[in-house]
Amino acid sequence: MNKSWVASHTFHYSRFSDIGYLVEEKQKKDLKISLCLPTLNEEKTIAKEIIIMKSELMTRYPLLDEIVVIDSGSTDETVKVAKSFDAKVYLADELLPDQGSYRGKGENLWKALYVTTGDIIVYLDADIKNIHHRFCYGLLGPLLAYDNIKYTKAFYDRPIAIGKSKIRPTGGGRVTELVIRPLFSLFFPELTQILQPLSGEYAGYREVFEKIPFPIGYGVETSMILDICEKWGLDVIAQVDLERRVHRNQDTKALGRMSFVVIKTFLKRLENLGLIELKKEIYDEIIQYQLIKNDITPNAVKMVGIERPPIIGIPEYREKFGHTANPSSIRLASKEKTT
Amino acid sequence: MPPYLKNITSYVEGIRRIRETIIANIVFLGQIPAPTFQEKSRAIKFMDRLVENQVDECTTDGYQNPIGIIRGKKSDLSPIMLVAHLDTMFARDVDHNYTITENAIRGPGVLDNTVGVAVLASLPAVLKHLEVSFDSDIILAGVIQSLGKGNLRGMRHLVKTWPTPIRGAICVEGVELGRLCYYSEGMIRCDITCSISEEKGVEYRFKPNAILVLHELINQIMAIRLPQKPRSRVIIGKIKGGQKHGIIAYEATLGLEIQSDTDRMVKTIFEDIKDMVTGISHEFGVRLKLETISNATASRLRYNHPLVKAAGQVMEALGIQTVGEPSESELSLLLSKRIPAVTLGLTRGENYHLPESQMEIEPMFTGIAQVIGVLQAIDSGVCDE
Repeated sequence: MNKSWVASHTFHYSRFSDIGYLVEEKQKKDLKISLCLPTLNEEKTIAKEIIIMKSELMTRYPLLDEIVVIDSGSTDETVKVAKSFDAKVYLADELLPDQGSYRGKGENLWKALYVTTGDIIVYLDADIKNIHHRFCYGLLGPLLAYDNIKYTKAFYDRPIAIGKSKIRPTGGGRVTELVIRPLFSLFFPELTQILQPLSGEYAGYREVFEKIPFPIGYGVETSMILDICEKWGLDVIAQVDLERRVHRNQDTKALGRMSFVVIKTFLKRLENLGLIELKKEIYDEIIQYQLIKNDITPNAVKMVGIERPPIIGIPEYREKFGHTANPSSIRLASKEKTT
Repeated sequence: MPPYLKNITSYVEGIRRIRETIIANIVFLGQIPAPTFQEKSRAIKFMDRLVENQVDECTTDGYQNPIGIIRGKKSDLSPIMLVAHLDTMFARDVDHNYTITENAIRGPGVLDNTVGVAVLASLPAVLKHLEVSFDSDIILAGVIQSLGKGNLRGMRHLVKTWPTPIRGAICVEGVELGRLCYYSEGMIRCDITCSISEEKGVEYRFKPNAILVLHELINQIMAIRLPQKPRSRVIIGKIKGGQKHGIIAYEATLGLEIQSDTDRMVKTIFEDIKDMVTGISHEFGVRLKLETISNATASRLRYNHPLVKAAGQVMEALGIQTVGEPSESELSLLLSKRIPAVTLGLTRGENYHLPESQMEIEPMFTGIAQVIGVLQAIDSGVCDE
């Protein structure tokens, strides 16, 4: 296990707080940068994210070239609010109509690749209550400052109170500690160095995102790490400490459903890599129970593990971005060369 | 038409075009808790935002009031001061995350006075965008320790120690767009606390109830015959006390404010209330403590003072309905130092002093244009009589 990765590929956002330098690097490398905010009923937080990013990283410093909102069909005022602050807003269902439509964050991220124009894409969850532009420039810093880094992932401060003191965290949330980290420890120990593999904030070069599949739902963060690592090695990944993040807390049942999808995505990757062999098809339903008066009632939720293929193979995308070469050819250094 | 009215209506659209800068400042500053005496973090952020918006000079005075200076074209002219208080009435443990909707911003303290502070922090960028410059230096002062027991300490220090004459001043408050404050009443704000001993013993067998003692005091205060001239009033604004339904109250506190057009009358009423407190204390055998929280002296500009007239013209040109009213805040200190000054409101809103305080975004652009118009009026010499 390469234990030095965590030392050499972990950054604090403040290291990149000289935004002028990042703009210089961006211009030197002739890059365009897109910010994508996937939404589903985020009327309370979306405006703040758009306004702060626009004010700090478009008006004050020309670091971002566009802010794109991909909405999954919000029933609240999310779309109206986002449009009122001049973000480019797309409804996921209306994008790439020939490819069909699914509901999920991964679907939005995948379709965002088609409508954004940036060479680098920053994905931020739209439910961050304490949004600050460090969420964006912190993730962009390693991508612009280091030529070998092609994908960055956020991690946060999650203080755990012990008596009167607080310890600085290295861990993630409940699903990370109870599901992902044990699985990584069992099969890919070096990936345990990624402190919060499920964090919803990451950025990367288009040439990376366009060549990996996107599960349509919760599994997208897990698959992204596994696929990028498998294709190009851990060296192209960096993680950035963005300090505190305040967001909605999910109940245990919701986390159970999330864990179900994450495990399913993981098992699929293990099978593809030949690490395990499943003797039968695994099920698509998570069954959770609730006690109503004296009755124990099952609640089965179907969660089909649909994945979108690498978008570089989609004709509409290839036409728009002028890809004429074989989709399998990649400009990025191969894993063999980087390791 | 005076020169300061020429382009005033076009400013509104120009300001709206950089709304993200202004709203971002409201969020960045407002999300930092700043209860009175604990404004340090917000003051630092205010300075940071001034620096980031390329204000010419940034400093703190001897009382740690953060100050930015936009340099004017003529160094021989006295400066113009823009003031907004930094402190809010919300404790640190209140959730300070702001919410923005299409037309409004919601969060504790947004109206009093985050929006005022944020407009000061945004002003260098706004003026640059509008290509507006001044002959005088513009001082942007975020003052600390204004509210309640702060008793305008930051502002007192600022006006007392500022080294040069001040040409004119504007105090910026969140609400209400249309207010034009050009006078302040004399005021004393005080708390009266009644404490009953909890000791057991024969002498304490029939204990008075602290709430009922204050009730008696209120009755006596209400019986004071207040003159119509000078206009005077006593406002009973706060009361709290007691522990449980079935136990007499051992402690209760009353908060009141005496207001009058003259300082002499305020003092007279205050002395009357002090006598009542002493009398009731002896009569009921309880401890009654009268504590002065803050005070302001009565001072005013004439209604036909050129600054008041110019401010009225600016507001009329922008279609703002003007309401003249007194202000007991920073304005009273400026006026008492004979510095021509007015207080202006920036926008409209609701739940002014609640955690879910909410401001409207759109009227703020007109409110900012109004401030710039009055600044230009002062810069053109309306206060130089």
